[in-house]
Amino acid sequence: MSDHQAPFFTQLGILTKRLLLRVVRRPLSELPNLIISAFFLFIYDGALGRVFGASAVGTSLDFAQGNFVNFILPVSIVSASLSGSASGFYIIEDIESGVFKRYQGMPISKWSIILAPMVIGAIRVLIQASLILLIGSFIGADPATGFSGYLAVLGFGFLWGLGFAGYSVAASVKSGSSQGAQAASFFFFPALFIAPTFVPREALKGWLSTAAAFNPTTYVIEAIRGILIEGWVFNVILPGLIVGGIFALITLAYAVSSAKKVNEKG
Amino acid sequence: MKAVEANNLHKTFTSKKESVEAVKGVSFSVEQGEVFSILGPNGAGKSTTILMLTTLLGISKGTASIMGLDVEKQDKEVRTKIGVALQDTGIDLLLTARELLYTTGRLWGLNKQESNTRTEELLQLVGLTESADRRVKTYSGGMKRRLDLGLSLVNEPEVLFLDEPTTGLDPASRRVIWDEIKRLNNNGVTVILTTQYLEEADELSDRLLIIDKGVVATEGTSDELKASVGGDVVTFDFEKEENVEVAKRLIDNAKVNQKQLRITVENGAEHIPIFMKTFTENKLNVKSVSANKPTLDDVFLKVTGFSMENDNQSEKKQSKKSNYEKRGRRIRR
Repeated sequence: MSDHQAPFFTQLGILTKRLLLRVVRRPLSELPNLIISAFFLFIYDGALGRVFGASAVGTSLDFAQGNFVNFILPVSIVSASLSGSASGFYIIEDIESGVFKRYQGMPISKWSIILAPMVIGAIRVLIQASLILLIGSFIGADPATGFSGYLAVLGFGFLWGLGFAGYSVAASVKSGSSQGAQAASFFFFPALFIAPTFVPREALKGWLSTAAAFNPTTYVIEAIRGILIEGWVFNVILPGLIVGGIFALITLAYAVSSAKKVNEKG
Repeated sequence: MKAVEANNLHKTFTSKKESVEAVKGVSFSVEQGEVFSILGPNGAGKSTTILMLTTLLGISKGTASIMGLDVEKQDKEVRTKIGVALQDTGIDLLLTARELLYTTGRLWGLNKQESNTRTEELLQLVGLTESADRRVKTYSGGMKRRLDLGLSLVNEPEVLFLDEPTTGLDPASRRVIWDEIKRLNNNGVTVILTTQYLEEADELSDRLLIIDKGVVATEGTSDELKASVGGDVVTFDFEKEENVEVAKRLIDNAKVNQKQLRITVENGAEHIPIFMKTFTENKLNVKSVSANKPTLDDVFLKVTGFSMENDNQSEKKQSKKSNYEKRGRRIRR
């Protein structure tokens, strides 16, 4: 017999693979999430692209520097990142079916139990973000940083997705029910829209501009925009990276501490 | 060294509104190689006790050890010694039995080769080799229980905890699980099981513990417990159900068990005419009467004031009723 404990990364790999099998075996439930952000990219570009795109060059509305797809693409990426919240539902399924309890009775690190759905959530975001970038490049995206900019944007999508996955997992573990997880996902709307979503922060009304300054999403959107529109402007990219990293760490720690308390709920 | 030792176990669940003490000082020990059953009505504290012993729930007060290891302080080591198949530990229905056993083996630290070998062994052991590559959602209840048992054996446990392992199974599937439990026990595995079925406890257990309202009501071998009831049990059925309560007031130490009156006396058959005379004088018409040696249900009735057999039957009726209601709703739609 073995020493009864798999190394941490083996545990994480096995648990992630198991969740991946679950995702692959019910593809239809994943499809709407995959296409919804792409759909909104078309809608935003169709509705606002003419006003804020090439025709705005030389006017005070030229914040997209002539390419509105470059400007709005970060919103679709961040919106796709919110789908990392599906991770919470994976863990709720495990709690409700008793699989979570089975794992608690085994010598498995709680970090790997919590991280596995977060990784799946982030992979899901990565696939979705790639699809959006592909569509974006077809309808006119032209990153100032070239192809490497696309990779950096994907990195931001992954990081932000990981953060939201952590939040969703923590909320789900705390509530212990799919209704609780659903209620927690309401937070995503203010997170996305109390931010410089459609215009730069300077153009927002007073209260919204103040609120946006406290919303971490703001810094991630601005960092991605910086990569796509201005180039490698580190004074814009770095705050996004720091905020994204801190958010992911906080939500992961919150998720693990919530998981430790599940035992006591009996 | 004892396989299991529980000393004055307490568990209190506290919420904002209230505090409920589910287990109030349970103590018992289990020898290595025993099959030990924990019985009790619903809500008695059986499952809570099992959850504490298997490290899945914190202990509010008291101590417990498994194979000499402290459940609270050495929980990781304890987990390597035990196998657990609980009512509420689930199985991933989208995976196959082979995938689940393999995955569980890897999580227990087996390498790929070892895990594959163990998977084949366990599939054979629980009789699921032919359906190993089907998703679990297509399995019957009995197959899922067998798989659950297989999953609890991946780490070759020394002590196996089974929480109501046959609840809801048909008699044939139940028999398969019983045979498997006996075989494991013959191979030296200590088994602790909770059950609602007295027949199951009687068939499998070396010793039994009855818990009621969070405390130990009694403990012993099946024969010792039955002998503790003493004499024979005389059971009367009355033509009118309401007469049971009237009859109870006429006989000392009589117990009402739903529609029946049970009286424990020495030489039961000799006492039947005396009881019959009393009932006839009071115009209580008896439908049937029998005298038997005490069963575990009589033990249960004596120590808890509650019949497990009738409880199980009424649960079955309730379940049937609810199925009819569901069907009715479906038809009405």
